[in-house]
Amino acid sequence: MKTVLEMKQVSKKFPGTYAVKTIDFDVFAGEVHALLGENGAGKSTLMKVIAGYFNDYTGEILVNGKTVQLHSPAMAKANGIQMIYQELSLAKPISIAENLLAGRLPTKGTWLLDRKTLIHESKKLLGRVGLGHIDPLVAVEEISQSEAELVEIAKALGNNPSILVMDEPTSALSKEEVDRLFGIINVLKKQGIGIVYISHHLPEISKIADRVTVMRDGEKVATKDITDVTTEALVEMMIGRAAGEMYRKRSSSIKEDVKLEVKKLSRRGFFHNIDFHVRRGEILGICGLSGAGRSELARSLVGIDPIDGGEIHLDGTEIQFRSMNRALAYGLAYLSESRKEQGLALRLSVGENILSASISRYSPKDGKEIVKKLIKDLQVNPAEDHRMIATLSGGNQQKVLLAKWMATEPKVLILDEPTRGVDIGSKMVIHQAVMEMANRGYSVILITSDLPELAGLSDRVIIMRNGHFIGEIDRVDCTEEELLLAANGKGEYVNAIRESR
Amino acid sequence: MQSANLDELKKDSRSLELNTLSLWISKLGIFIVVGIFLIVGPLVSAKFYTLANLTTILQTVAILGIVAVGVAFVTYSGHYADLSVPSVMAFAGIITVATLHYGIAISLLLGILAGLSIGIINGFVVGVYKANPIIWTLAVEYVLNGLMRWIWGANQIYPDLHGNNGRAASSFVNLARQYVGPIPLVFILLFCAVIIGQLILSKTRFGRRLKVVGSSAEVAKFSGINVPLTIGIAFLISAFAASIGGIFLTSLVKLGVYSNGTGYDFNAVTAVVVGGVSLAGGRGNIVGVLGGTLLLGILVNVLNLIGVSQLYQTIVEGVIFIIVVGVNQKSLRKLGRDDA
Ligand SMILES: Nc1ncnc2c1ncn2[C@@H]1O[C@H](COP(=O)(O)OP(=O)(O)OP(=O)(O)O)[C@@H](O)[C@H]1O
Ligand SMILES: [Mg+2]
Repeated sequence: MKTVLEMKQVSKKFPGTYAVKTIDFDVFAGEVHALLGENGAGKSTLMKVIAGYFNDYTGEILVNGKTVQLHSPAMAKANGIQMIYQELSLAKPISIAENLLAGRLPTKGTWLLDRKTLIHESKKLLGRVGLGHIDPLVAVEEISQSEAELVEIAKALGNNPSILVMDEPTSALSKEEVDRLFGIINVLKKQGIGIVYISHHLPEISKIADRVTVMRDGEKVATKDITDVTTEALVEMMIGRAAGEMYRKRSSSIKEDVKLEVKKLSRRGFFHNIDFHVRRGEILGICGLSGAGRSELARSLVGIDPIDGGEIHLDGTEIQFRSMNRALAYGLAYLSESRKEQGLALRLSVGENILSASISRYSPKDGKEIVKKLIKDLQVNPAEDHRMIATLSGGNQQKVLLAKWMATEPKVLILDEPTRGVDIGSKMVIHQAVMEMANRGYSVILITSDLPELAGLSDRVIIMRNGHFIGEIDRVDCTEEELLLAANGKGEYVNAIRESR
Repeated sequence: MQSANLDELKKDSRSLELNTLSLWISKLGIFIVVGIFLIVGPLVSAKFYTLANLTTILQTVAILGIVAVGVAFVTYSGHYADLSVPSVMAFAGIITVATLHYGIAISLLLGILAGLSIGIINGFVVGVYKANPIIWTLAVEYVLNGLMRWIWGANQIYPDLHGNNGRAASSFVNLARQYVGPIPLVFILLFCAVIIGQLILSKTRFGRRLKVVGSSAEVAKFSGINVPLTIGIAFLISAFAASIGGIFLTSLVKLGVYSNGTGYDFNAVTAVVVGGVSLAGGRGNIVGVLGGTLLLGILVNVLNLIGVSQLYQTIVEGVIFIIVVGVNQKSLRKLGRDDA
């Protein structure tokens, strides 16, 4: 088999830490090589080395058997390496076409943009990722996150890569979208492209990968053929011990009193006539596909977006917030799905971020205490409160984000994709924390596209589809399969509620 | 669940020591440069370390320092700069002079209120309506300037030293020449401004909110921070400092005129940025701004002492600033704290 990429003894140091330490890593043509490891293991950093992100790595890198210097993204591209970043890199206000062909826009003569070729070329690229039906002239901000993800891949394909790196490409995708992505990956494999695939989702790995390399604390643990290892073995290699049972139904902590009740809540174009309630100590899941209006509902609940009709009752009194700070004063907190734009201030330290939503709550001294405690409870790694948040790995940033909202001691905590990009060990930690909050009498509203998580944590699940409330599933019946059916508007629970009323 | 395992924090063997030099440079970099100048100064001219000369240095930049402390809040909030500072200074000064017949205390109060009113407008328009701070404050600068010319007909107005309230007039003129013991009043005011500003920024809740807003207004909004109010207060502080500076300047030149604050906008921004406050917002401190201000003063002084002409002075200034900002940026990068 042809080796398209070979890394020998590659290391990369950051101020204050080694992120990657003497790694050997190779990729064959036409294979998917999965890269696994806990949050902060160094996966993204290793891939950034390949993508030419750093000019100060050490070690040797060979592409197609030739030693190369990958000291800039341009050099990496010139060597046929393309990377899909953990956070998308598309320019939102400009068109898909211009994003796709950025840096090599077709011209007529020397100066004029050749629109026809632009459209033609981008249509061709979009077709390769199954987006042939989309108009390449619409702006990226107008398409959904999952489509943007595919556009990002199309953009990479435009440069005819021989090596494609995908850093957690499925963390924001629903199951159908993941399947679609896998279809595309299989086609790319046949074309002889070597693919590096980073994910925390192990079932995915066994489905798509040919080989797998596990990293821990910046070092390589092992490289194996996927057929030679079990999922359990992989987990053990990642975290250095066997994992316990992932979800254990907790004994319910639901109290009688209704904490939050929503009646006929609407926001035109986003969600319509939504009814639900959540009790004290209850974890209420909201199930739905992306675009079902779940996040929009959450944003309206906490006053970030307006509502057009309906009522919100908190502890039995009607209430409406016009901004997040009012909502927060009443004990409503919202962990947003977009960590980088709305969740964490990347130029602040870990401690400052954790306290950023509870500045009036703590004295500086208490603040320090609570930061220390949350860092420890949620196992943020490295456990240093003065670290700049941008230097933490993606999964650890996510833990800090949860810590930030836990610090506000909310009465109702709305979690929107709380474990995006988090490794399995840390996921258990986060789940544990959420369940403990419910046990202490907090109400939790959980929005997640991770169905096992939804099934495992929720006491009750309501189903949304295209902005409408279409049904409710009880805890006993709440399984992954049911949820999947329900999200797609099928299954016996859908609409059953409506009829029984 | 594996509580036993999860409880012990994982030891990570990868940790390295941070570069301590960079750490110090990033904190107090500007004072290292000031220090260098204090060492080089006497080599350039024997007159450098005379008391008279040191006083001159402080005299030239004291008012600028007060104004810069205010502007720093706007920069820190992620809104680049308050360019309406010159006309706010002039406005506060003119109003004070024009109302001297009410007595010195009332006229000073009215002067400050006049300046603050501009700050409220700025804060409201930029905070609530999200106007571009540069364009808006520049527009205010022009409008207010024009307004003052229109109302006072481009005339200079003098504190009436011999009129019916000559006492108020002379105490106003003396303001900038006042000493507290051996120390000029304006120096004391400068240091008060720096200390209070630093305390506001680092110790108060407002300061911590401002830091989040400056780092990312979107995140601040989602964190339940009242972003418009926080920004508004930053502009208010800027206008307040500019009013104080403007009143002292008016007292110093003994006349109120629309052009009094000319040049203070860019000089203040220079002091702020050289002092290490990031134009991107959310980073820096007021003590650094004092450093930036002092550096400006010392630089002009040294160049004057060795007889460099005005023309070349600007070039030298420019080069020094590029170096200072560059060194600062580099040490931030070494710490992994740059914005790249
Ligand atoms: N710019 C930086 N400065 C300093 N340290 C950094 C920087 N970027 C990453 N690190 C550190 O390097 C280590 C590896 O980070 P990396 O992002 O590669 O982890 P990862 O394996 O991708 O984790 P995740 O699964 O959470 O995405 C972490 O300890 C992180 O804190
Ligand atoms: Mg990563």
